[in-house]
Amino acid sequence: MNTTVLAFLVLYYVVVLGIGLWAMRRGATDDLEGYFLGGREVGPLVTALTLQSTSMSGYMFLGAGSLAYTTGYWSLWFAAGDIGGGVLNLSIIGRRMRKLSQIMGSLTSIEYLEARYPSPVTRLIAASLTVFLLAFYVLAQFIAGGKGMALVTGLEYEWALLIALAIITIYTLLGGYLAVAYTDLFQSLIMLVGVLWVLGAALVHVGGFTAANQTLAEIDPTILSIWGTGLGFEGQWGVVAGAVLVFSAGYMGWPHVVTRHMAMKRPATARLAGAYATAWNLLFVSAPYLVGILAILILPNLDDPELAIFEVAQTLLPSAVTGIVMAAIMAAIMSTADSLLLQTGSIASRDLYERFINPRASEQQMLWVSRALVLAIGVIGYLVALIEPPAVAFVVIFATSVLGSAFAPAFVCAVWWKKANTPGAIASMVTGAVTSVLWELAGLAATTTLAPVTVGLTASTVAIVVVSLATRRSSPVPTYVLAAMEETARVGPIPERLIAMSDFALEPEATEIESLLRGEEEQ
Amino acid sequence: MFGLPLSTSLLVLGFPLFWILYTIGFLLLTRNWDNEGDER
Repeated sequence: MNTTVLAFLVLYYVVVLGIGLWAMRRGATDDLEGYFLGGREVGPLVTALTLQSTSMSGYMFLGAGSLAYTTGYWSLWFAAGDIGGGVLNLSIIGRRMRKLSQIMGSLTSIEYLEARYPSPVTRLIAASLTVFLLAFYVLAQFIAGGKGMALVTGLEYEWALLIALAIITIYTLLGGYLAVAYTDLFQSLIMLVGVLWVLGAALVHVGGFTAANQTLAEIDPTILSIWGTGLGFEGQWGVVAGAVLVFSAGYMGWPHVVTRHMAMKRPATARLAGAYATAWNLLFVSAPYLVGILAILILPNLDDPELAIFEVAQTLLPSAVTGIVMAAIMAAIMSTADSLLLQTGSIASRDLYERFINPRASEQQMLWVSRALVLAIGVIGYLVALIEPPAVAFVVIFATSVLGSAFAPAFVCAVWWKKANTPGAIASMVTGAVTSVLWELAGLAATTTLAPVTVGLTASTVAIVVVSLATRRSSPVPTYVLAAMEETARVGPIPERLIAMSDFALEPEATEIESLLRGEEEQ
Repeated sequence: MFGLPLSTSLLVLGFPLFWILYTIGFLLLTRNWDNEGDER
């Protein structure tokens, strides 16, 4: 066990906890909008960095390094889309989603979908899909956390996994959105410093970028190819399109990420947040892939390619700096895991339990449902990660492919296409999810050279267009939704009459809070 | 460039350049958004 590295890791946890507690006090509020959306008071820098650090998970330090180590420069196709994921998301749906969600009085991304595509079926399908996929996604973070902790502490993987999982779960149960958003800001900066430090050290070690590429060419020139080591993906444009799309267009369908739009201080926050997101991505996104490629030269006989970045850091950096890098890795894991768990718990309690099982559930009951689900995911995640841990890259790419395929067209059309109606959105979600899952399970990517996300996104887009047009007479878009969409398209303050719609939508919450306050007064 | 084949250089440098231009275009086209004011 390296005590210096461990000391830095402990220091990191203390700082994160401190920021979380400070943010909770700063955003102390007794309403649900405060808990779920930070009172819609989040500025552009925090919006951009919480968006990015939430989407850049443990995958960036384990999956990206592993992909690069095994496939060479081909892995940069994922970075090519990822760099623009933030600005694409904010420019296409950011401002409009913020405005429409306020008019509709929606607090979660699933509630927002139901408000735009009115039907309990919309919420049931969207919530069920999201809970399942986010739980699967968080599994990758547990595995990444366990592997990282094992390397730092020298403990057996079983114990390291248990410690990592306990830290992530307890930390998530502590606070709401604002605490998550502000800790994400700090964690994103740590991630940036950590990965650039490893990249710098690796480049110095191999004699510079050009020299490294020349040496790689001597080992195997296909490492430098855009078609992957051994030209394994030669001519497979469908797979390449999937790699570019999954973290760019697909990213607009991740419910735990698009919630960030709803929490922005004002709709125009999307503008500056887009610029910050691109700046951060330009510095961060390619770096883990490049370290993975350089690891081929530095550590040519790695047993577990997922540990490429960990091992490069331990080999080249002094203990104190390795501590910062390890903190960065844990930051990437935790900043995603806390958001995933928070969203999964919120959706399960609010969008499933309260909506379909116990409509008169008190806030206390909903909180317990949320906590119980987080703990259940923790236990199941521990068992899966222990017995047969799948590759982090596989889990993340699979879960995000299905999420993007199921939801991206529904979220985009929600603000851009007035003809998109409820049957169209439901058909799109089901078609996107089923197509991408079957494509993956049947191994059709290999035989057709089309990635699941490429097929899933295409299928769900076609579904929303065809079904919306076919059912436009039997299921017209309600006039109040059309009015809200027209207002959303306009740049300007929301008129009072539409704010009244928001008050109407939030009426059940207001009644709940009122009854709680009355109860307190009576006591 | 940097000892890489041309296609790989385009992948490594071309996409970041594209997203920089996209972001600049986004900022230019949305200058009027800041006039929206605080809607709360």
